[in-house]
Amino acid sequence: MDVSLLHWILLLPLGAAALCGLILRRAGAAAAIVSIGSALAGSVLALRFLGTLAPGQVVSWNLELGRLGETVLNVGYHVDGRSALMLFIVTFVGAWIHLFSWGYMRDDGARGRYFAGLSLFMFSILGIVLANGLVMTFVFWELVGFCSYMLIAHYFDKDFAAAASKKAFIANRVGDLGFILGIAGCLSAYGTTDFAALQAAVAAKPAPALLGFLLLGAFIGKSAQFPLHVWLTDAMAGPTPVSALIHAATMVAAGVFLMARIFFLINNEAVLQFCLWSGAGMAALAGLCALAQTDIKKSLAYSTLAHLGIMGAALGLGHPELALLHMAMHACFKATLFLGAGSVIHGCHHEQDMLRMGGLARKMPVTFAAFLVATLSNCAVPFLAGWYSKDAILEAAHAHGAGVFALLAVAALATCLYSGRMIRLVFLGAPRGEAAEHAHESPWTMLLPLAVLGLGYSVIAGTYLGFPAASVAALPAPMHFHLGAASIVGLGSLALGFLGALWFYGRSQGDALRDAAPGLYRALERRWMDELYELYLTKVQQPAAEIIAFLDLALVNGLAGKVIGAGIPALLGAASRRLFHTGSIRATAAWFAIGAALIAALLLGIL
Amino acid sequence: MEHTTLAHHLILAGLVFVAGLTGVILRRNLLVTYMCLELMLAAATLALVAFSRFNRTMDGAVLVFFVITVAAAEVAVGLALIVALYRRTGSVSSDTLNTLRD
Repeated sequence: MDVSLLHWILLLPLGAAALCGLILRRAGAAAAIVSIGSALAGSVLALRFLGTLAPGQVVSWNLELGRLGETVLNVGYHVDGRSALMLFIVTFVGAWIHLFSWGYMRDDGARGRYFAGLSLFMFSILGIVLANGLVMTFVFWELVGFCSYMLIAHYFDKDFAAAASKKAFIANRVGDLGFILGIAGCLSAYGTTDFAALQAAVAAKPAPALLGFLLLGAFIGKSAQFPLHVWLTDAMAGPTPVSALIHAATMVAAGVFLMARIFFLINNEAVLQFCLWSGAGMAALAGLCALAQTDIKKSLAYSTLAHLGIMGAALGLGHPELALLHMAMHACFKATLFLGAGSVIHGCHHEQDMLRMGGLARKMPVTFAAFLVATLSNCAVPFLAGWYSKDAILEAAHAHGAGVFALLAVAALATCLYSGRMIRLVFLGAPRGEAAEHAHESPWTMLLPLAVLGLGYSVIAGTYLGFPAASVAALPAPMHFHLGAASIVGLGSLALGFLGALWFYGRSQGDALRDAAPGLYRALERRWMDELYELYLTKVQQPAAEIIAFLDLALVNGLAGKVIGAGIPALLGAASRRLFHTGSIRATAAWFAIGAALIAALLLGIL
Repeated sequence: MEHTTLAHHLILAGLVFVAGLTGVILRRNLLVTYMCLELMLAAATLALVAFSRFNRTMDGAVLVFFVITVAAAEVAVGLALIVALYRRTGSVSSDTLNTLRD
């Protein structure tokens, strides 16, 4: 197997980013072509790599960077079927999002910066996928954080975009503190951070729960798990293709991928229990919260939170391969949903309020078709992509216990509810706003990604049709339809939720739930965690910081300054101001002469 | 004058130097200050030439040439500065040049 192929895959986007960011800042179209070209080439190369990889084969490459005492710092690749599949998904979904950006960002003034950021984002996530150790992962992990910061703040002259990017960055920082402590813990416990060596060491000596929790912190931050999930819904401030990239192919996927890769380190009863319950709880709650969002992108963001919760629950159930499978399936339909939303927003002249849309199915037929297929996949309609992973996770939850199963069933129902609501509000009925009446279908550069990702990928991906052997070996066997608890819940929620929502939201001009149960709607709309954080920051952290600042001023500056230091420094200060710093050249010359005379006297031994 | 020794020369140089230093410290007119600075430089070169003469080497004498060259350049810059200063502030008193103190 050719390692140089991997070098190309990794370095192509870096080269494109450098070219766009350093040379083509002002040449928007050229930057776009370079960036899109590199992404397309990367996906072709990744497909070729995946095709030539034999099942069970591992391609590795290592470069020793240096030694710190006994510790060896390595960078390198460790690519098995699972990472090769991830490599393909990231580059494939990413490439179509790049192409979509061509149309979506056509009128943007800072396309050079945008495409540089997009390519750098691809480079960072590919580094995480290829990495053979925690240290290299961490470096690219931080790069992903930086790129998301840069891209969310693309419209940095808008306050909410600047604030959202800061929020994403800080929330990730909190999680990354756990990550870096976890790396230090691995070093001290096992003396290595390379995945292969770690796995061998952990097999001999299981990892303690604390280490697992620390490393889980990385996942909680990057994949927006409870309680650090607050950044994801605000990250909508960036351009829509960036949201698609963050939600589908890169950022949140990184956390799931890393956890699947180092599952042997977090494989501890307490860690998994936490992961399971927080994931399942978030899945149910976020799904319901999506019902109370009028912004189409915000609603989709809550949908992503729900799916991330499901992935967290799958990890907690001890099925990292199911979490990875759901991540892969989610990537294709969520990318389609976001790109579809982008197409709708573009067509409606940057209207994002679903209550002012409606009747777009006739005006934007291709977008509608792709969005509908992706939505059905999101709702886990049998034999579409989402069904294969979601029903498998539901089945695993059913085998585990009634509590988790009930939470995930609520999540499944909520998914169908908000999906039906979205279809009803955006695409069906009569136009409810000026923008929706004058909506137009998007150009082909935006429709082609929608068609490929939505119509093509969502339909065939789940069957693993045409997937190369190496990746199929890394995935659980494709499901066959059979009537069990999971499929009953799945089909039941589909019928009840999706069709019910279609009917329910057709009853009113505004939001039917808000009209029928305003209290419930407001409770779902409220951002409880944000309010909790704000309470903590304003009522606890800020006063504490002020007390410390007061103590610093009073004790260190005041007491120590006045009592101990008052004499000498103050006297010297005053003397120097009076005697030396008079501003007179002649005084300076005199002091200079006196100093020179003193030094001469010292040298001659007179003094 | 067979009795002039190195010590005589050095004492003379020292006196000239102190005269120059006194002028720099006491005089307010920048032009005079400047001339006093040159006087100090001349005292130093006198000492150098004396060493060169009594040690029978050319090192000191050669150094003096360099000092004179640099001093000539310095005069050009220094006088130009003083002229510019006069044009700007209308005075060449060193006591008015204390704006950097604040």
